Amino acid sequence: MNTFANNAIVRLEDVHLSFGQTEVLKGIDLTVNKGDAVSIIGPSGSGKSTILRCINALVAPQSGRITVGGTRVDQLTKESERIALRKRVGIVFQQYNLFPHLTVLDNIVLAPTRILGVDRREAEKLARHLLEKVRLVEKANAYPGQLSGGQQQRVAIARALAMKPELVLFDEVTSALDPETVGEVLWVIRDLVRDGMTSILVTHEMRFAEEISDTVVFTENGRVVDRGSPEQIFRNPDNPRVRQFVSGLSGHNAMRDGEGI
Amino acid sequence: MQDMNLTDLFVSLTDKVGLNYQFLATGYEAQIWRDGFVTTLYLVVLLIPVSLIFGLLFAACLTSGRLWLSAPVRAFVEITRNTPTLVQLMFSFLVLNTFVSNLVGGAQNNPLTPFFWVVAVVGLHIAALHAEAIRAGIEAVPASTVEAARGIGFNQLQILRYVEVPLAFRASLPAIVNNLINLVKLTTVGNAIAVSEITYASIMVWTQRDNVVELMIVILAFFSLINLIVARVGLWVERKLAVPGYGL
Ligand SMILES: Nc1ncnc2c1ncn2[C@@H]1O[C@H](COP(=O)(O)OP(=O)(O)OP(=O)(O)O)[C@@H](O)[C@H]1O
Ligand SMILES: [Mg+2]
Repeated sequence: MNTFANNAIVRLEDVHLSFGQTEVLKGIDLTVNKGDAVSIIGPSGSGKSTILRCINALVAPQSGRITVGGTRVDQLTKESERIALRKRVGIVFQQYNLFPHLTVLDNIVLAPTRILGVDRREAEKLARHLLEKVRLVEKANAYPGQLSGGQQQRVAIARALAMKPELVLFDEVTSALDPETVGEVLWVIRDLVRDGMTSILVTHEMRFAEEISDTVVFTENGRVVDRGSPEQIFRNPDNPRVRQFVSGLSGHNAMRDGEGI
Repeated sequence: MQDMNLTDLFVSLTDKVGLNYQFLATGYEAQIWRDGFVTTLYLVVLLIPVSLIFGLLFAACLTSGRLWLSAPVRAFVEITRNTPTLVQLMFSFLVLNTFVSNLVGGAQNNPLTPFFWVVAVVGLHIAALHAEAIRAGIEAVPASTVEAARGIGFNQLQILRYVEVPLAFRASLPAIVNNLINLVKLTTVGNAIAVSEITYASIMVWTQRDNVVELMIVILAFFSLINLIVARVGLWVERKLAVPGYGL
């Protein structure tokens, strides 16, 4: 497709997906290069979460190709193959979804020890290193219920990273947070992206998306309406629908920032 | 020797307030009665883990999403839940046991004892109740938590083991403890098929001695004590498993 094509780690081609009668994805094309950060923006219900779930084989499209690091995800038939893929692709959700009965450390250690067979000491060492990265070392022995939303989300990011994924999917990871804690989570993601972690972010944080993304994709109604550099999408969008959406949201953000003070 | 003295002392003291425990000083009846306590305790100690293991197994089947696993277990749960345990026990002993006897060529070859049938029937009956409680607990685990576990790369069994069961067990613990208290009381159905647990043994004694009230007092105290312990241990486990900042 383009000169970077060989570098692609994720590629979706003409992906169609329906839930029963509802057509949710109507021909999605998306390429993500290794080390890039791609943001997916668009109105609610446009299929953003579904795109991420497809990449991680949590849902299967009816047609189209999905390639992740050499694996044809759409052709996986066995659950064991899908599991093998999920080990390589981290995903972080809006609602953190930590395991409430495990301490922060155990949340991070569970998957490497039980899925990858890493020994406990090794896994704990990595977990503590990751907690340092997300600035939560002192919370290692706390339970999720004792943490703020922002702290829980940072643990969720550490938990995903503990599997040493090739890429990480972020699904509106700051949407459930109060404005004051959004920043601490964005900090962590910004660091990750700077370290070269391939990331796909569904986000409503337009300024953040503009700052860290290599590419921004605008989806609506199950289609990619526009894509380009952050500059292109946020500063001078050609597409009137994108222009309307972006200006509407920046107003919203400005209002919220005002409240935060 | 000391034992004998204590028994004599007890018999004479209770005699003064008009309670007749004289059989305790005899060899045979005292032995029957003591064995009754032991048998009941043995039943309880055996039945608790049996009911829990099968309860967990049934719950796993019920929530497996596979019809060939869930449908038979669902049918069994409904039948055992909705019919009297006494009838189940009689059916098992009089029908199933006879069937087994015929299969192996006569009752003398049948290894299954009345004791076995009490454990099987009461154990599976309570297991069905546990299973319902655990199933409800598993279904109460948020879909998003399960999806997160799937997204990380856990398989179905690992999700059950590391996420769903630990959470479901905490949520269903009060119901499970209730079931166990019922289990302790249900051991008395063994009476109907001549398993010499405490009520059966007591009937043997009081038909000879005419001391129903005396034996009743002890039986009631005995069951109250066991269930007090069950409830206490349940509470202790509940506290032990309580997760800070989590409303379970
Ligand atoms: N499991 C499902 N079954 C049926 N419909 C679903 C399912 N998951 C999503 N949908 C529908 O698919 C559409 C796209 O959902 P999706 O969650 O991908 O949107 P989104 O862009 O992430 O929206 P939001 O910004 O609100 O998170 C919605 O209309 C939703 O109702
Ligand atoms: Mg979404």
